[in-house]
Amino acid sequence: MDIITGFADVLTPKILMWIAIGVTIGYLVGALPGLGKATGVAVSIPLTFYLHPVAALGMLIGIAKGSAAGSAVSAILINTPGEPASAPTALDGYPLARQGKAQKALKMGLYASVIGDFLSTLVLIFLAAPLASYALLIGPVELCAILLFSLTFIGGLSGRSLIKGLIAAAFGVFFATVGIEPETFVPRLTFGLLELDDGIKLVPMAIGMLAVAEMIAQAGNLKALDAEFEQIKDGTAHEDRVILRSEWRRCIPVILRGTFIGSVVGILPGLGASVGSFLSYAATRKASKTPEKFGTGMIEGIAAAESADNAVVPSSLVPLFALGIPGSVIAAILIAAFILHGLTPGPLMFKQQPRLVADVYAAMLCASLIMLIIGSVGQRLFAMVIRVPLRLIIPGVLLLCSIGAYLETSTVFSIWVMLFFTGLGLLSRKLDFSFVTFLIGFVIGPNLELSFRQSIQILNHDPANLIHHPIAMAFGFLTLGTIWWVGRGHSPVVAAPTSATRNSREEEA
Amino acid sequence: MIKRRTLLGVATALSFSAFSGPVLADDYPTGPITMLVGYGAGGQTDLIARATANVISKQLGQPINVINKPGVGGAVAARELTHANPDGYTILFNSNALINLAPFVMKNADFKPDEFDYAGMITAFQLALAAPKDAPFNNLAEYVEWAKKNPGSSYAALAPEARLYINEIMKKTGIQVNIVPVQSGSEMINALLGGQVMLAYSGGIHYRYPDQLKSIAATTTFRHPSAPTVPTIEEQGFQLGMDTRTTLILPKGTPKAVIDKLSAALKACQTDADFKKVADAADIPIQYLDAAEATKEMTASTAKNKAIMKAAGIVSK
Amino acid sequence: MRRADVISGVILAVFGLITLFIIIPWQIEPGPAGYMSPRLVPVLMMVLITGLSVLLAIRNLASDAAPGDEPPLFTWAEMLAIVKIATVFAVAIALYFWVSPAVSGGALVAGSLIALGERRPWVIVAMPAGLLITVWLLFYKVLGTAIV
Repeated sequence: MDIITGFADVLTPKILMWIAIGVTIGYLVGALPGLGKATGVAVSIPLTFYLHPVAALGMLIGIAKGSAAGSAVSAILINTPGEPASAPTALDGYPLARQGKAQKALKMGLYASVIGDFLSTLVLIFLAAPLASYALLIGPVELCAILLFSLTFIGGLSGRSLIKGLIAAAFGVFFATVGIEPETFVPRLTFGLLELDDGIKLVPMAIGMLAVAEMIAQAGNLKALDAEFEQIKDGTAHEDRVILRSEWRRCIPVILRGTFIGSVVGILPGLGASVGSFLSYAATRKASKTPEKFGTGMIEGIAAAESADNAVVPSSLVPLFALGIPGSVIAAILIAAFILHGLTPGPLMFKQQPRLVADVYAAMLCASLIMLIIGSVGQRLFAMVIRVPLRLIIPGVLLLCSIGAYLETSTVFSIWVMLFFTGLGLLSRKLDFSFVTFLIGFVIGPNLELSFRQSIQILNHDPANLIHHPIAMAFGFLTLGTIWWVGRGHSPVVAAPTSATRNSREEEA
Repeated sequence: MIKRRTLLGVATALSFSAFSGPVLADDYPTGPITMLVGYGAGGQTDLIARATANVISKQLGQPINVINKPGVGGAVAARELTHANPDGYTILFNSNALINLAPFVMKNADFKPDEFDYAGMITAFQLALAAPKDAPFNNLAEYVEWAKKNPGSSYAALAPEARLYINEIMKKTGIQVNIVPVQSGSEMINALLGGQVMLAYSGGIHYRYPDQLKSIAATTTFRHPSAPTVPTIEEQGFQLGMDTRTTLILPKGTPKAVIDKLSAALKACQTDADFKKVADAADIPIQYLDAAEATKEMTASTAKNKAIMKAAGIVSK
Repeated sequence: MRRADVISGVILAVFGLITLFIIIPWQIEPGPAGYMSPRLVPVLMMVLITGLSVLLAIRNLASDAAPGDEPPLFTWAEMLAIVKIATVFAVAIALYFWVSPAVSGGALVAGSLIALGERRPWVIVAMPAGLLITVWLLFYKVLGTAIV
């Protein structure tokens, strides 16, 4: 698979333009607290229906990357992380901004993001294909075991309660069974509605649960959020606006460490960007000679958090590309986009469409570089966007969401679907059920069901035959281990970000 | 204030509605076309569908979005087609087994030839029962022997008709085999290559892997050009030889002008170099039939298969 | 949170049972002979949910969080926001059927602006108009496709 041809295909004005648009949208979306990359991508998928596949995929991945970087902006400027993964950024970024060094902080946030993102994309490119060659070892039995493990792991980590996480996952799988059953042609749970024959569509569901529910939650909190709008001091001294060489020297190892941690976290299914950025922040603090100064404006803190938070995005596509398994919400939502544009993620992808894969890789690398340009140019402008009051943003987002949902079926039915899942999204935020796990369960559901049924047949209806499938057994034990370990309360609970919206930490990965 | 808003709303509404007019058949197509495929991505039907879509799209000058809707050998996609507008913007590319075979095996998937319009057929399937190259059997008799000594082996079925064959074999010989459902040719190939199943029903795509897979029986009425030494299923004692072809299926009531345009565009596949490359990779025979011939073939083959099923005593479940 | 957990546990358990014994048999036919039942996975999931919900309820029943020291589930502001936005959507959908999609979209934006407290008339008019025009430009011109 020749990455050079990939670049040749991608370095055209049109495709670069769409990638740039994606990165810009992502940066904006990331900078707005409450909207995250998952939402941004879900809402934008319908917009890409009529684009050339490489442009479409480049744009969507650009949104994911840009959003991971843009989330630093609001973390630094208004102490409200644009995405939960940027919460550690706020810990040191906001104090720096208060000291008049906002631009320095913003620059470091951007550079750390770009470096982390670029290096992690290289990890994806070099790792995915080799991993894919092991794919034949993964038959239906192994796949079922891996999916079960992923779902359990994800359910255990997002949210404070393993039980609730598993319930959310089970609901996700249950909702995925709505529609005509693909083996027996029997309609399931369609209540006679023709529109449900094809199942519930992910896009209106995701838009409702993630975006609209979040908008309404914020609308209910308007007074508190308005009060958070404070003045941003801008330093006039030159050294307050750029990054000094000494600071670079201190931050490079931090960035590399953060990229490594982020990449590993991304590859493992279910952990998510927040775990990556918090781990990186904690690791850097531990390795520092002045750990007590963290939280007062240490620029290494920003470097650590942002490099890891961005590194998670490309590496979370490794299990998706290599095995066809989504390990995060963003990967799950991107599957739909990939398939829509003719690329079926999975090991066969490398053999059957090497050109398209090379194009996507090239597009991703270009997106990293474009992000640098857009971030640098737009920092001043983006800072101003945050000052737009929520009461103006929410209606615009509601319209965008409705259009995005409507585009799916060109009927009002998908708006109803969106509203239904908005309700579920609100309830799950309040009752602390992880809607992220629910969405992943929904996306994995059909695969899980098919591989489960195939497994029953292959195992000849006899569980003892699992002996012949050591990989499956290994994952089975891992699943049981997760249940036991998390169930006893060792779950690495992600610290709540300093945002006025409760449970917005769910809106991540 | 209120008046201004109403005026604005009316103005916007009018300007929007000005842009959504009816679509005339003369200038078909004026926008992108959706092509449904009844199998998962990567399988034979999907590959030919995408190759066909490329050719047709070039001929008609509009993009074609290929959307996979796997399930029940294409019945799920066909069901969606029956709800689409008969304007030529939603078409289905699938094996015609969905109409002339599957309904006799599965009561739920009951489609009749006159429920649809046909724009043409383009390739034939070299249907066969395929096995890994190193399997210790080379024909049905040897397979049955082996299966008797190894009960509980697996068979990959990607459509109702796939089940038909193994069910009949099981009924007649008393072997016990587990049927593993798969959604596409590529899943079926993976299952064979990975050793998950010992036998599978293939549409011919296994000829892409001559070093790893072999046919043990051709389920068509003719011996395969790719494997002339492999006897047909009729020669091996089961009167169940049935042929299928990839067909461009349209909702009933599509205007003739639209059908003819699609039919003419489909014909270009015969001479298109890229299309040939895809077909040759798996030895897929290109046999073009236009709209009229395709419709005739549908009715004829459905009646023929019905008779075969009746003679074999197969009842749809 | 504990009382809320007990209640959600109970409600989910009841929902699970209703689904298991009423909804699934009603909505999913048993499949044809020789195939695996289409009811299998839905039933499995519901059994899991029911069991886990019971566990949830029991676990939180036994916890020692004093009742009354938990914040209410939905604050008044949130409930108000939900009602307001729901009304806006209802009106917008009705307008979609009675008038036109464009008016519906405009009403959605204008309505939610008002619901959130915006009172400046020029914003209430300009934003819907501006957004609709941008959307129109983006779809009909740049992407070359129709939405409605």
